[in-house]
Amino acid sequence: MAFRRLAALALAFAASGALAAPEAVRKEIVDRLQQQLPQLSGAEYVLGSAAFDDALRAKIDENADAGAALVAAGQKVWTAKFRDGRSLANCFPNGGRRIAGNYPQYDPRVKRVVTLEMAINQCRKAHKEAIFDPTDAATMGAALAYVRSLSNKIKVAVRVPPAAEPSFEEGRRMYFTRMGQRNFACASCHLQGAGKRFDGVPLSPAIGQATHWPVVREGAPVTLQSRIRECLELMGAAPFAAGSDELNDLEYFLTYLSKGLPLKANAWRPKAP
Amino acid sequence: MKPRATVLGALAVAAALPAWAQRPLSGMELFVARDKGYCISCHQLPAGVGPPSTSDLGPRLEGARMRALGKAGIRAAIVDPAAANANTLMPPFGRHRILDDQEIDRIVEFLNGLP
Repeated sequence: MAFRRLAALALAFAASGALAAPEAVRKEIVDRLQQQLPQLSGAEYVLGSAAFDDALRAKIDENADAGAALVAAGQKVWTAKFRDGRSLANCFPNGGRRIAGNYPQYDPRVKRVVTLEMAINQCRKAHKEAIFDPTDAATMGAALAYVRSLSNKIKVAVRVPPAAEPSFEEGRRMYFTRMGQRNFACASCHLQGAGKRFDGVPLSPAIGQATHWPVVREGAPVTLQSRIRECLELMGAAPFAAGSDELNDLEYFLTYLSKGLPLKANAWRPKAP
Repeated sequence: MKPRATVLGALAVAAALPAWAQRPLSGMELFVARDKGYCISCHQLPAGVGPPSTSDLGPRLEGARMRALGKAGIRAAIVDPAAANANTLMPPFGRHRILDDQEIDRIVEFLNGLP
């Protein structure tokens, strides 16, 4: 029923010609999950699926340093000198410290959502360096693992200014749209089914999902967009490309839902089934 | 030599395939296979039937409940579950051609025969 209420809320805004205010959408989802999962404290949402599985939670704690080698490799990528003597660290305030909570952000000049990956590539392009493949673990993955580790404990502070509401709305629409041969929406599992088990693994709730990326699986970084692409494949849908407007808007919406929650990069995850 | 090597290679691959790849999958195999029903990812079966599962996105399936639904009811629920419940999470296995008619028949028989 709540799924319907959310859809109705969005429809009501659409019918009135206004977009669903992001904060109203977030609050509705928070309220719904709190009602559905009363046993879960606000702080536990960042644990994702492990919030419902003590054994998984213990394994994550045991492997708290799983990202150490990756972070070290990422620091080298982050500080490597470009041909003009600058580096990725020079493109961001404080060398990239405490910035991850502000991404994705809306860039009114290009009228698009800019993820941290895009900002990294914008920096490289501005300095006439080849851009990173957003799915490449050794470059983009490592750089993200490092720079995001510099924002651990920083709270998600993504903003959606009025000009960005169409992008937020597009992300919301996609999160609630059933796709692919199996006819799942993201919300089917992560809102309607949050906390239940799919293939033996608890489904992470929508709130908190954007806080711990990249995750570290078998020593390799997996970005949020790569993980969404895995979900899309499981849904029987052709995944949108990493860095596409579709996935950027989806990441924007999803990250806004975690507003106020602390970031913790490089969370360990078990091998994919 | 090359074509012969290819044929031999194909034969070797065929021989290496598991037995289920060379005959139609049974109802239970279709229920479990990731690229078929993959029903086990959401449902649990009665103790002692099929692989153990802790999945609970869908309800636990018991024989008595299946027989109360009847074979036509089970089939309808597999072909297009949204026809009875628009909010269902269950994929439309028939309508989206995830499974063909014969495969659905075998799953229906399997479920109808559950203890």
